[in-house]
This record gives sequence, C-alpha cells and structure tokens, in this order.
Amino acid sequence: MMRLLWLDYRAAMRERKTWLAGAMLVYAVLSIPVVLAQPPPHVREAIAAWFHDADPFVVFMFVWIDLAMNKAIAFLPVVLASTVLLRERDTGVLAILAAKPLSLARYFVVRTGSACAVMATLHVGSQLLGALWFPGQVENFRPGVFLAAMSLHLFAAVCATACAATLAVATGRRGASALLSLMIFGILVGMALVGFYQPAWQTATLANPFTLGALSLGHLGALGPGVLLPPMLALTALTVITIAAGARLAGRMEA
Amino acid sequence: MSDTTAAIDVRRLGKRFGAVTAVDDVSFSVEPGEIFGFMGHNGAGKTTTLRMLLGLTKPTSGAATVLGRDIVRDTLDVRRQAGYLPANYALPPDMTAREFLRYVGAMFALPPRLVDARADELIARFGLGAAADRKLRGFSTGMTQKVGLAQALINEPSVLLLDEPTSGLDPLGRHELLEHLRALARDRGVTVVFSSHILSDVETLCRRVAVMHHARLIACGELAALRREYAVASMDELYLALVRRHAA
Repeated sequence: MMRLLWLDYRAAMRERKTWLAGAMLVYAVLSIPVVLAQPPPHVREAIAAWFHDADPFVVFMFVWIDLAMNKAIAFLPVVLASTVLLRERDTGVLAILAAKPLSLARYFVVRTGSACAVMATLHVGSQLLGALWFPGQVENFRPGVFLAAMSLHLFAAVCATACAATLAVATGRRGASALLSLMIFGILVGMALVGFYQPAWQTATLANPFTLGALSLGHLGALGPGVLLPPMLALTALTVITIAAGARLAGRMEA
Repeated sequence: MSDTTAAIDVRRLGKRFGAVTAVDDVSFSVEPGEIFGFMGHNGAGKTTTLRMLLGLTKPTSGAATVLGRDIVRDTLDVRRQAGYLPANYALPPDMTAREFLRYVGAMFALPPRLVDARADELIARFGLGAAADRKLRGFSTGMTQKVGLAQALINEPSVLLLDEPTSGLDPLGRHELLEHLRALARDRGVTVVFSSHILSDVETLCRRVAVMHHARLIACGELAALRREYAVASMDELYLALVRRHAA
C-alpha cells in the first residue's frame, strides 16, 4: 500500500490544481509582509489587547495565521480532497480500479493519505520559504518560533484535508461535497480565534481543529513541547478517526 | 452441484435492484483456457453478471466461484487472479500509460521491479512504445483500449473478463484485439470471458457461448451444436432464432 501511496502522491503533486495551490501559497508568503508593512494603529492595539503583546512579530504571526494560513487551510483541502473517489467514479477511472484486489475502503485511505501528504508538502514548503523570506521583511522575526508555531498549524491542515475527503464520500456528490466542506471550514475558521478575543469561550473553542492549530498564538514567548504536543496529538487522533469514518463510508460505495 | 474443474462456475445467480431484475437464475461454467462468448443485447444482464463475478456488486441469489474461490467470501482473492476490462471506463488523463500500469501494478502489491518489467513487456506487446510516456488524455479509442487491456494483464491473470472490448474500435483495432486474446488463451492458458453484442466477434473467437436475454440465460453450449440444433448457418441467425423462441 505504501508503494501505491507514493505513486498516488507523485501523480497528485503533478496535477494542475496542486501547482495552483502552490502558487497561491507563494503569493501569500511574498505579499503578507507588504500588507503588514504599516498595520493600522487600531489593528495593532486590538492584537496587543488579545495577546497581551504588541511586538511586531506577534502582530505578524496573528496576521500570518489568521489572514493567510487559516484561509489557505479552509480552501486548499477542499481543492485537494473534496472529490476523492467521486472524481474517479464520475469519470469512469474507478470502474477499472475498483476491480483490483484493494477494497474501496483501503483505496480511500490511500487517496486521502496522498491528499494529506500533498497538503503537508505545500504547507511545509510555504513555511520554509517564509522562514527564509520573512526575517528581512518582519521586524524582530524569530524563525525558530515561527516554524514551531506553524508545525502545529500543519496538523490542522492535514486534519482539514482528511475532513474534506470524508465529507466527499459522505455526500457522494462532488459539488455538494465541495460546498459543504467550504461552508463548514468557513464557519470553523471564522470561530478559530474567538477564544483569544473572548477568554470565557476558550474551552469550548478547543473542539475546533482550526483553534487547536492556532493555539501557539497565545504562547509565542514560551513555545515548547508542553504547548505543542497536546494539540498535535488531539489533531492526529481527530485525523485518524475522520479517515476511519471515511473509509467505512467508502466501503459502502458502488464503483 | 458445483463443477470443481471449471475456471468459472455460476450457479443460479441472480441480482435485483429494487423492483428491477438485472440477472435472473443464471447458470453456466467456463473451462480453463477457453475463450467463452457471453452474448446479449444491451441491458441483457451481461455487465451485472461480470461485476458480480468480481465482487463489484453482490448477488441477491445463487452462488459462483472463480478458480474455485467464492465470489462473495473471497472477493479480493478472485480479483488477485483476474483481469477485468469494463465496458465503460476512462483512464486517468494526467498519467502516462507507463505510470498507469505501474499504478495498477502497485494495487496488486507486486514488487516494483516486476511491475516495471511487466509494464515494459505489455507496452511492447501492444505496440504502445512511442506513446508510453505521453499523457493518456490525448489517446485515441484504439490506444485507450490497448492500455485498458494492458492494465487487465499486469497481474498475469488466469481469468480475463472483458466487457464489450471491441465496441468503438475500427476493424483493424478489432482484428488486433481479437488476435491478442487468441494468443493469450493459446500461449498462456488464460481463460477469457468475452462479453459482446457484436455477434461476428463472438463467432470469430469463441467455441462455446452463453446467450442472455432480458436478464435470463436463454442458451449455453457449443456454438456449432447450437447452430445445428436451431438449423442456422450464422451467428446472427442463431441469435435471432433464440430470441424469437424465447419471446414466443
């Protein structure tokens, strides 16, 4: 299955939509420092109040996660995974592949694993590019803290990709799956940072995978395994459960 | 009673989709190494029968074995030994022929070197050398069908199930495909189930046939014996005689 996963990943990396997603992330890396060159005072004040810090790096991290990467992981997983198995079924490719000695449930795991790996590649690539580009653009930029914070965010990106794939087999229709995923991810991203603005709701928002991915924002001064590992484990568990649910649904599909 | 020597043994197989009966009480067997014709008009139940043999849809009644393996209980084992070319399919447009064959080979969990060697051999056998590393999106119907047949052979199957493999092909393409199938049965002992509504293809290729009509099997046996029984000279006449008798 690992060989198939590798071949699927390589094929997916060459697809046009993957290149477009990559271009979108490169644009985000290059443009965000420009957008942030002179943040309006009320934005700086609001961020200082939410995170108890007005350091330019904290302002940058808030904007990078909230404005760029959270939007990216609400949109790109839909592009990459909301048609898993459905496109193959609708185009007729599944008519061939379903007759091979691999159940549809296991094939779903391969296709979703491949989409998650593509998302992870794009995410890691854009953070590495950012770690090279941002130090010259953002005052007081700390590459180590940046990469540690974004490594947690990567888990949320992978989880969102698994969710998009599972929603695909749950709905059984490509258009409906994409719209439903966008709607759900849009709501979750919109509510991701509510816990920072309204501390009373912080516990409730921990059920949101996008909140877990952004938890480092409140601890940029003291990021360590104690802060990063619990949400990483929670997101990993959520991803595994989501893929298992999707595999179960895929097993009931007719090729 | 099950025929244990048959490559494919189908006993009273049936499939209903709600109120619609797609396959009704069908029984036949296919000998190892033979090319067996599976005939009938569109919608007669040929495709559903083949899909049941591969476990792609579950029978609602009856039973069947492929190479001695139960089609419901041992589905993945059956697929490991079988090659299948569906009637309606597409190839992934962004892959090349070689990549697709490797991908299908990986689905059988075959060692990569073995898959590469078989892919090279199939590419050569089907004359795809010049197009092997071109994206599949630009392939003609004939080329697509060759890649379709090549993917069905990547696991060196003992049983090959082909659903309308010649439809859409020009006369030369049809001739080439039929020659390939003959060679497979003759040289490698592959059992081929050749489903078609193109009667001349079945007549050219098969010694034994099964004829389906409105979900039921209306005849099964040696082509020559059926011709004698119905006192007809050609496949077309035989088919018409069978259908008329069934309608009467």
